[in-house]
Order: sequence, then structure tokens, then C-alpha cells
Amino acid sequence: MDSTDIDRSPAGRADFAAVSKTVLREAGIGLALVVLIIVFSVTTQHFLTASNITNILTQVTINLVLSIGMTFVILIGGIDLSVGSVLSFCAVVAGTVMTLPGLDPALAVTLAVISAVIAGIGFGLFNGFISAYWAIPSFIVTLGTLNIARGAALQVTNASTIYSFPAAFNAFGSRTIYGVPVLFLIALLLVAIAWFVLAKTVFGRVLYGIGNNEEAARLAGHNIFFYKIAAFTICGALVGIGAIIYMARLNIASPIIGIGFELNAIAAVIIGGTSLSGGRGSVVGTLLGACIIGVLANGLILLGLSDFMRQMITGFVIILAVILDKYRERLTKA
Amino acid sequence: MRFSKIIAAGLLAGTLMVPIASHADDKPVVGLVMKSLANEFFKNMLEGAKAHEAKRGDYTLKAVGMQSETDIETQINAVESFITEKVDAIVIAPADSRALVPPLKRAVDAGITVVNFDVSLDEKAKQEAGLTLAFVGPDNRGGAKLAGDALAKKLGQGAKVVIIEGNPGADNAAQRKLGFMDSVEAGKLDLLDSRTAHWETEEANTLFSNMLTAHPDIQGVMAANDSMALGVVKAIDAAGKTGKIEVVGFDNIPAVQPLLKEKKMLATVDQFGQEMAANAVDKALGVLKGGKPLEGWVKTDIKLVTSDDVK
Amino acid sequence: MENNQTMPDGIRPSADAEALLHLSGVRKRFGGVVALDGVSFALRAGEVHALVGENGAGKSTLIKILCGIVQRDAGEIELAGAPYDPHAPGDAKSAGIQVVHQEFNLLPYLSVAENICFEDMPRKHFGMVDYTSLYAKARKALDAIGLADVDVRRPVESLGVAHRQLVEIARALMGESRILILDEPTATLTERETQRLFTIIAGLRAKGVAIVFVSHHLQEVFAICDRVTVLRNGASVMTADIAATTPEQLVSNMVGRQLAAAMAAEKTVDTGGKTALSLRNLRHPASPFAEGVSFDLHYGEMLGIAGLVGSGRTELLRSIFAADVAVSGELQREGAPRSYRNPGDAIADGIGFVTEDRKEEGLILSMPIAANVTLASLKDVSRLGLVDKNKESRLTQKLGGEVRLKYGSPRDAASTLSGGNQQKVVLAKWLANKPRVLLLDEPTRGVDVGAKAEIYALLRGLAEQGLALLIVSSELPELITLCDRILVMSKHRIAGEVARKDFSEEHILNLAYKDERRHGQH
Repeated sequence: MDSTDIDRSPAGRADFAAVSKTVLREAGIGLALVVLIIVFSVTTQHFLTASNITNILTQVTINLVLSIGMTFVILIGGIDLSVGSVLSFCAVVAGTVMTLPGLDPALAVTLAVISAVIAGIGFGLFNGFISAYWAIPSFIVTLGTLNIARGAALQVTNASTIYSFPAAFNAFGSRTIYGVPVLFLIALLLVAIAWFVLAKTVFGRVLYGIGNNEEAARLAGHNIFFYKIAAFTICGALVGIGAIIYMARLNIASPIIGIGFELNAIAAVIIGGTSLSGGRGSVVGTLLGACIIGVLANGLILLGLSDFMRQMITGFVIILAVILDKYRERLTKA
Repeated sequence: MRFSKIIAAGLLAGTLMVPIASHADDKPVVGLVMKSLANEFFKNMLEGAKAHEAKRGDYTLKAVGMQSETDIETQINAVESFITEKVDAIVIAPADSRALVPPLKRAVDAGITVVNFDVSLDEKAKQEAGLTLAFVGPDNRGGAKLAGDALAKKLGQGAKVVIIEGNPGADNAAQRKLGFMDSVEAGKLDLLDSRTAHWETEEANTLFSNMLTAHPDIQGVMAANDSMALGVVKAIDAAGKTGKIEVVGFDNIPAVQPLLKEKKMLATVDQFGQEMAANAVDKALGVLKGGKPLEGWVKTDIKLVTSDDVK
Repeated sequence: MENNQTMPDGIRPSADAEALLHLSGVRKRFGGVVALDGVSFALRAGEVHALVGENGAGKSTLIKILCGIVQRDAGEIELAGAPYDPHAPGDAKSAGIQVVHQEFNLLPYLSVAENICFEDMPRKHFGMVDYTSLYAKARKALDAIGLADVDVRRPVESLGVAHRQLVEIARALMGESRILILDEPTATLTERETQRLFTIIAGLRAKGVAIVFVSHHLQEVFAICDRVTVLRNGASVMTADIAATTPEQLVSNMVGRQLAAAMAAEKTVDTGGKTALSLRNLRHPASPFAEGVSFDLHYGEMLGIAGLVGSGRTELLRSIFAADVAVSGELQREGAPRSYRNPGDAIADGIGFVTEDRKEEGLILSMPIAANVTLASLKDVSRLGLVDKNKESRLTQKLGGEVRLKYGSPRDAASTLSGGNQQKVVLAKWLANKPRVLLLDEPTRGVDVGAKAEIYALLRGLAEQGLALLIVSSELPELITLCDRILVMSKHRIAGEVARKDFSEEHILNLAYKDERRHGQH
């Protein structure tokens, strides 16, 4: 309680307040996650075991990667409904490349990864260009892309499942380091990169600016067209990576995978505190949001709840998270 | 999701309007109403039917598929269009065992020969509508029991098993679950849990990983289709329990062949989907040519597939 | 004259025993910003009472409180002797208070009739709309305000702004009204339509309706009102009978002593600098005339642009800055022709643009002050695409000092600042870019008097440093105080140029209304 050490300059106090507000924002979501973990640890026998945590991290990974991309798009006030379909398109393209006869396995995998990311970038460019150039809401554009990508995936494969990937690739998907799945570590690395880009770079700064006030950003001389396309392209590239992660985890690629993935990704971003109208939020929140969804899905099964109850509870949690966010917003604004 | 369905229904209904009155030649016209062509099983079935049309050469096939498993509107629209077109026969794999009864009743009243295959229409709904219609199709319950019995035989009495179900509300999912339950009872298995993974690989993988946490002593898994079995096998691998848990599936899709061979899967069930539609068309043509009307349940072949059947 | 003035702060004037609506000591804060700081106001039945004051004086907030959109923090309101405490617009309506807002509240895709009767749609069985009586009711309402030439079935979208304004009024008059509040009703009307409105107002007054008339145009206030109340910085500073006051007295009460002093500061005319910017027939896409706009702007000069709302002032600035790309004509920088494709090009060429609307175009309110200050100059505070937050904070502190910004930390959100300080942030944003030409659109709108004087001093300092300033303002005293020359715009054209020695409000307004008059005579 000794007050002499406290920085009493107005600037110092305000800085402290700003930092504590930021911490409070993220902490709110983190706290919800901790509460969930405690509840499941107490109510179920196996929740807090090493193998179950490995499971949860594996299960969170794909949604997390898609959610990172979705965060970029939602930050500029857009939405991408096509990620699930594009994921399946990227997967079947990569799967086709990977199973080309006569290719060296290492080369096949490399080419497959590149082709998945390129396919994702292609759809991202398409979404971004159309919505930015003709000023069409991305909701509509990506609703179209959702169908285009799904149809393309079915067309390419003639509706068949692709399998028999190189054994090393299949094994890679199940590898863990001290119980942490390698695929999850990759996703975590992507979170770190995205955080850096959004928090530290001029590019990230302008994305937030556009999400908050597009006209102000434009009149400050920034090329809105470029940034919009960039956000969707980043999302597309991450979908490509997500497709490879899917294949590594499940060892198949099929045109009917990824149905409804977009909704999970949007849910993770929103639970993570990113505003659906853009300009506010962070990828760290998205990480926590994805974890909440994963922990909830896992814990409710361990609790032995029926499938239908699980679905209802998941829905309630999404709504609850958004309501809590409203209160948090009020709290941090004061 | 809803939008995409409406759009798809609109598009399909649109395409259906085009070929009206195109059957100038005397060959009978058979309208084939399929389920989701995004599903490999039905896609193969359609290809089988097309090959059959080319081989027989004495009828014209008009096929319509849907965008997803639950897209009932598209099927109803298709049936109504076929009535307008005055086709000679409608061969249908209904997406819903009740909703399709009224339009099919109208088709029968319009003098069209209707053959119901793959999934049976609901008996009560048929009765209420005054529709008598035979069903040509596999015994999903019997098939599932074949797979379940194989598992029970391998594991022995008291073995701890779980069921991975298909879409809740889907008739074949319900039948297969009943078949698995029959095996549980007959083989005196210990059923620990039964949950849906909505026919999907990724969801089955997640679900089974979590089941395995809750019940680390699971010895056997009965998956209502092979796509889900793929996810289950991968979850077993990831948990390091390869070879310790037996898995049976259903459908015999190509992707499970390597798993059967490596003995990561014990068995699956082949209901000869490729021929199913073609068989149903044969039955319809038989009636058209003055044969006896079909009655009751005309069962089609099912077969248990194990590693012995994979070369 | 002194006797007719009633001062606020709790003193209840005896003359207001007959008041229908009575406010005393009404206060309201929005976050850190004081919007109303003690308003007392009495409205009598059958009078037209003008409410005047500069932008940001609190008129809009007062109206919002009266019609239940926002709730007051303190103070008392009595309506016909009973406490009046509306919590929703419906409360105000049922108490007989009708408001015609400054912003349109019409539903553009519905018909005129549906809009007019929206609050009380005539119904048939099963809740179906009774269109026959709907159209009849709307017809009657429009005829009552002399709008016989408008088909009630037309969608509102297809009407011009003036007609929309009259439809708003017709809609407000649909309800039983004891009090009608008109917020800037003439802003979009031509002279002829304004006269029509005045006739309507006179008719209502005769029926005993109390009318609150909010307007910037003092000549209208003197033409139609019975009494006037002046608001300044959220407080009521004067109430008087119109017959007993003068426009000069109102203006000096509106601007206050501090600003009056700033305005009186000596100003030396400076037009001697090199030409910074020349326009030759530059035409904004919205301009109906091919001739566009032509003028020269010199370094060190403060050039004002006057004109009515809608005369194309903002559009002129936007076309210079390439916020909207001009359709024809030429723009020269220091004598060399330029064609900017987007604001980025204009910025790179040393031009800055302080926009009219801080919240919509100028600031990113939820982002930190520092991020706003550096928004147009991120290159200068970053390396290899990474923002250097220390450098950014240093720059913000430096510029914050220059514009006398009062703030806590550079990391605080811009939304925490008052209107005046927000405007200083916008200025700092452009100064960070070291512009040579600064375009300013309503640079002191919604800014309190103290900050206004500081902004004036700052702009003068910039001109002395040799910057070329082009200033658009609706407040003539502002232009008269600051500028070396004033161009008057009318219908997207320059209607005339006034040199400093000839500055007078009357002269400028005459030029601004030139086209309107001509229109009215036809």
C-alpha cells in the first residue's frame, strides 16, 4: 500500500489502464475456458488426462487454422462462408497430386502442400476481388463460392474419396511431441505469425483501421482494395494449410468433407471476442475461442450427455459468449 | 445451408423442365430419383444404372440426384416433374420415408409404375395415403447384423463395444443401429455407448477419440458406414491401440480396402450398390412388360466382406 | 431590453406561469463529454419559439431528451404542470410532442402514404392494411400542408429532399400534437417551400400548438418566431422576445466572449505567396455544370469557401483530394498538371484533408490516439512494415503539443476525447504528413468555444508557416475571422469572390442565395 512507488503521472496511469483493459478482454475469454476445464475436470473421470488433452488439441487444430484466417476476414468487416467447401477442394487437389503415380513420396507431399495452398489462395483472391471490386457483401460472394468450390471438388473427383497417401505423411499426422500433436504446434505457430502481423505491422494496423472505419482509412491514403483482397487471400491460404492438416490427420481427401466447418470457425472467432462488424478483436482470442469449442465438445461426450443435448448446449454457449462479450465491452469502455 | 438447398432445388427443378416430351421413340421412359450424388455410394449406383441402360438398350433413363442427403424438396420436385412428363416408370430411393408418399401416390394414380428401392417408405404413411407399393432393397438391419455378428464372433461374449451411428432420423441409420443391437444381444456383448457422427469421417474421428477417453477399455466398434469407420481407425492409430480394437463398417467403399487388407478393419458389408438401381429398373421394366406387380419386400443381395475378400 | 432577458440557473421567471412545457437545470453527459450543462427553457401554447446556438451547443441533445430518445441526467421537466419523463419516443408521442428530425426518418422503399401513416396504419380484418383509408388519410395530410401535387402511392425514394422534408412534417402532424419540434426544417428547402412551411406553422400556431423552431438562419427566426432561446456550450444563456432583440445580440450570445476576442484578433491579408494549387474547370461527378470550378490558392493564404448546404463545397474538396475523382477539368500543383487517382496520390503530393465528419471519415474512434495520428503517415513510424510504437508515441506527443491536445495517454482510444480534442487529433494526423496544402471542411463543427479559439490560432500559425489553407465552413463569422479571401459557391459553381476588405455576412449570403432567388422567381 506504499504509494510512493506508483507512477503518478497521468500518462503512466493511463498506460496502465490501457494495458489492464486489454488483459481484461482476453482474460475474460481465458477465464471462461478455465471455468469449463475445471467443471469437466471435476465432473468427469478422464478429462484431465494426458491422452485426453492430446485428443482435444488434435480436435481443435483444423478449426483453429480456419479460424485464424476467418479472423482476418471478420476484422475487416467481412465473412467467409466458403472455407468448408474450399477446404474440401484444396484437399482433393492435394490428394490427387499426392497420389499421382510414379512420384517420389517426399516430392509428392511437397507438391501437394503447395497445390493446396495455391488452390486456397486462388479462391481467396476470387472472394476478395469480387467483393472489393463490385462492392458486393462478402456474405453473398462467399455463399456463391461455397457452392462453386463444393461442386468443383465433386467434379474433380467424380465424388470419390482419395486415399493411400505416403505412409510417412499419414504417420506425421499422428505424431506428438511430449503429448502435444505436431499438427497443433503448426497451428500454434500460425497463431503466433498472425498475432505478429496483426499487432505489430503496418498491414495489421490498416486492417483494423478498415474494419473500424473504412472511409477514414481510405481518406488517409490507404488502398482499401488491396487490403480487402489480402484479407481473403490470407484466409484462403490458411484453408489450404487446413486441408493438408485434415489429410494428415485422417489420411483421406474427399469432396464431402468440411461441411459446416465455416460455422465452427465463425463461432470460434466470435467467442474469441472479435466483433462481427469488424475492427475489434485478436487472434489470441480466436485461439481461446477455438479451445472453448473443442473442450466443450470433448467434455460433453465424456459427461455422457446425449447427442442432442450436446448440440443444444453448444448453441447456448455460443450465444452466451456473445452476450458476455457485450458486458465485457461495456466494462472496458468505462 | 438452407440457402444452398433452395438454390440447388431451383436449379435442379429448372433443368428438369427442359427435356419434356423428348421421348418420341417407343422405348419406355424410366425416371430414376436418386439421393445425394456427392455420396460416392449413390454416384456409383447411378453409374451402374447408366451402364445398365446402355447394355439393355430397350428403355430411356432419366436420372435426378440431390445436393445433399436431406434435400427432400428436390426429390419431390423431381417426382412431380416426372408425372408432368408422363414417364412410364419412376424408380426412387426416397430421401425421406414419409414426405415422398403423397407425390408417389399421385404418380401411381397417374398410371405410372413406381418402384421404391434403397430405403423403404414408411408403412403407416403408405397405409394412410392408400398407397400399396413394394420395396426393392437390401436389408440394412440384416446387413448390420452380419457385420455385428462377425465382430461378436471375433471378440467373444462380454466384449465391450460402441456403436457409431449415422444421421439421426435417417431410416438406413436407424435400421443399421437396430442390426448392430441385434448382434449385441445375440452375442451377449457389452454396449458401452452409441452416438452419431453424422456419417462423417472427421466427426467420427473426434467422437471416437473422446469415447476412447471415456471408455479406455473399448474392444470393438460398429460404424454405420465406412466413411466413419475410416475416422475410427485413424483415432485408434493415433491412440496407439492399433490391432487392439476391432472395427466393422458398412458399404464397402474403395477407401477401406487397404484397411481390411492390413487387418485394421475386421469387416464391412457390401450391399452391391452399383447394381441396386439397375436391379430396381429391371423390376420396373418387368412390371411394364406385363409382369406381375411387385409385393412386399423384394430383398436384394448383401454380403459380408473381410480381409479374405480383398486381393 | 434587459427586462426581456431571463437568465437561467434555477430562477423561474414569473412570465412562465402560462408555460405548457417547462425545463429547468437539465443536464446530460455522454461519457466524458458534457452535452447539456443546465438548460432552462419555457414554451407557451400558441407560440413559435426559436432555439438557436452554434453546432454542438446542445440543441440536438435537448430535442432528443424531449422526445425520449435519450434520458437526462439531472434537471426537471414539466408538461402542462405535471412531471414529464419520457423513456421512449412513444412516451413523447402519447404526450402530444411531435418531432421532425434533422436526419430523415423515412422508409425509402415504402410509399408516401405508408410513411405518413406508419405509426398508426389503418387496418381491416386479420390485421390487413386498409389501403383505401390509408391513401385517403395520407392524401388529406398532404393537402393540409399544401402538397397536392405529390402522389401518395409513390415510394419516398423517388422524391426530392425538399418533398421528403415536407412528408416528414406531414407525418409528424398526423398525431395529436400539442407541441411540434422542427429541427432545422428549412435546411433542404428552397425559398418557395420555406414560405409554404411558414404558412403551415402560422396555421398551427393559430390552433394553439406550441412550436419549437430550431434554425441556423437568423433571418427565418426573425421572420416567424415569437420568442428565442440561445444555447451556448450546453447551457441556455438567453431568452427574449423577438421584437426586443437583434441578430447581433443573438450572435454575440451564441459565440460568447472568448471567441469574440479570437475573432477580433488583427488579421493581415496575405495573398502574396507562390501559387500552390490551381483548379481549371474541375468538375465533381455530382456537378450539373460542365464549367466546374476554377481558382488559384497561394502559399500562406487562407481561402474560405462559403455557400449553402448542398452547394457543392464538400464535393469540391473531395474532388481536389481524389476522394471522388473529378470527371473533367484540370488540377495543377505549383503550376504543373496533376491527376490523382486516389487519396494516396494527393497525400503523396503534399495535400491533407480534414473532413467534415470526424466520426464517419476523420477518425477511427475505437483505435488509440497514436494510431489515429499516424494513420496517414505510417511509413514514417515504421520500418520493414513493422510499426515502431515508441516512435509513434513520440510523434504523437510532439504533434499533440503543437495542436494543444488534452489527452491521457497516446494509447487511449480516440473516442475518450471531447469533440474539440478529437478534431485536434484529425489535424495532428495531417500535420504528421507535413502537408503543403491543407483542405479543411467545417474545421470547428461540434467543437466547444475554447477549442475553437485554439484551432483558429493553430490555423493562423500554419498559414504563417507558409501552408496554403482552403477552408469550407457554414459559419460565416468563422470564415470572416480567418480568411484572406472567400469564394462563395452556389450549385457547384463559384458564384462570386469576396476580398477581405469587402467581407460582410450580407454580401456573402446574397451571393450564396443568388441562384436560389433566380429559381424562386420562375
